[in-house]
Amino acid sequence: MIRAGGIEKGMCLLIKGEPHAVAEREFVNPGKGSAFVRLKLKNLRTGLVLRETYKSNDNVETADVFDRDVQFLYSDGENYHCMDMENYEQFDVPITGLEDKANFMKEGDTYTMVMWETTPIDIKIPLKMVFVVTEAAEGVKGDTVQGASKIVKVETGLEVKVPIFIKEGEKILVNTESGDYVERVNS
Amino acid sequence: MLVGMIDHAMVRLRSLLVREIRAFFQGRGYLEVDTPKLAPTLIPEAHLEVFATELISPDRPSVPLFLIPSPEVWHKQLLAEGSGSIFEITHCFRNGEQIGPYHNPEFTMLEYYTVDADHRDSIAVTEALFASLLEALTPEIAAMPKPGGGHDRTNAALHLNRLRPPFVRISVRDSVLEHTGLDLNRLTDSESLRAEVGRLGIHVEDGESWADTFNRLFVDRVEPALSTDRPLVLTDYPSGIPVLASEGNDPRYRNRWELYVNGVELANCYAEETNANAVARFFAGQAAAKRAARVPHTVDPHYPRVFGPSFPRCSGVALGVDRLLMLLAGEINMSGVILFGMSGILSVSNYR
Repeated sequence: MIRAGGIEKGMCLLIKGEPHAVAEREFVNPGKGSAFVRLKLKNLRTGLVLRETYKSNDNVETADVFDRDVQFLYSDGENYHCMDMENYEQFDVPITGLEDKANFMKEGDTYTMVMWETTPIDIKIPLKMVFVVTEAAEGVKGDTVQGASKIVKVETGLEVKVPIFIKEGEKILVNTESGDYVERVNS
Repeated sequence: MLVGMIDHAMVRLRSLLVREIRAFFQGRGYLEVDTPKLAPTLIPEAHLEVFATELISPDRPSVPLFLIPSPEVWHKQLLAEGSGSIFEITHCFRNGEQIGPYHNPEFTMLEYYTVDADHRDSIAVTEALFASLLEALTPEIAAMPKPGGGHDRTNAALHLNRLRPPFVRISVRDSVLEHTGLDLNRLTDSESLRAEVGRLGIHVEDGESWADTFNRLFVDRVEPALSTDRPLVLTDYPSGIPVLASEGNDPRYRNRWELYVNGVELANCYAEETNANAVARFFAGQAAAKRAARVPHTVDPHYPRVFGPSFPRCSGVALGVDRLLMLLAGEINMSGVILFGMSGILSVSNYR
């Protein structure tokens, strides 16, 4: 059991006896009431989407899941090709349901995959990751009115809003939860 | 820290917004007041977590102090002393809430009290405020440059229309009936409400309060379905939710409303409770429910005396200025309208 307020995206819950992955979690504080949690859940057997609302201190049953360290090899648009770091077994993980990870999957990097029985449920993305800027327009000098920022692209295709001084080829640290630029990385 | 990421057009718009709010209320004879952010006691609200700190001094024992979650604790004392209609733009602090698109732990609140008025009069004042803000700020907003990305201000006319008066008025009862088929008039006891809400497939727990079950229903089915094309005033909340608003002609409901703009809860209004005994009962009930709070705070047991015979008939509105600025600018995240928002500060430092 877990308190609903402690539920996080990617967790696996048993709802009405069916395993569900938490796809979205939002805290809601109605006018003069206690905190509530709105969940969007995906049934891991059927793929059906379920929406549930809990009070933060309701208890919700969890499903047993375990971690597996994998190396991300490449994506073919349908599957993430991965290799188990313990037994070097290669296997495919369907991208469906894990589309939001694509911008943070760097070929050759190691990730923790969350499994329920034999089904991959989630890929854990580090909170902060370093990316190489692959496309960046030149900043316009003296342009402070527009917030002095611009959009650049990194090697995974992710677009990030950065200060104008960031150049192509430089490395930047990105908060993967918000997609926000954190700082330039000197290496 | 965060150098090069300041949105100067937004900083300017906030400054203009605050200037126009002041001009509006001063032009109508409201007195601007400046009250403390630190208070030794607060009005107990069971579901709010607060920030606690401590006053230390060389010549006296230390005193716990609390950052105000609302300036209400001061304003009601001023009203009791005959201040007349007042307003304040101040920072407020709420702990224990998720930092997100509509929440920053420190935020800017506009609070205004109109004396010799009720909650219906406050709707008219708020509509006049919005009309005046739109007139003054529209040229500025239309001329704002499109920033680096993430949001699009080119559609200014569209999102400004969502703020335009007159507001649509609908009672909570009618709204619940429309979106769930349940009639609150018939569901005034906890058990029957719980049974009906459970039948809709919403999770309920045995023995929970009427307010908790109602809020489950509201959060799950009503709030997500509220119309977003015009400002919406939800009026006459059920008496099952304890608040410091006066009782309606129908005692099942309270004289209060909440304003929703584009689905976002923007303002909250009461026809203020003026009966000292009713306030004392509210204090006792909330203090008991508050025992589970992470950050307990001191409550002044004599505070209900403020609501004696000298307390005027009045109506107060609390309006989130950061949310208003988001709606005016067409921003989808509060961090885009706040200088040094908490999520930005924490992601730069080595938090977690």
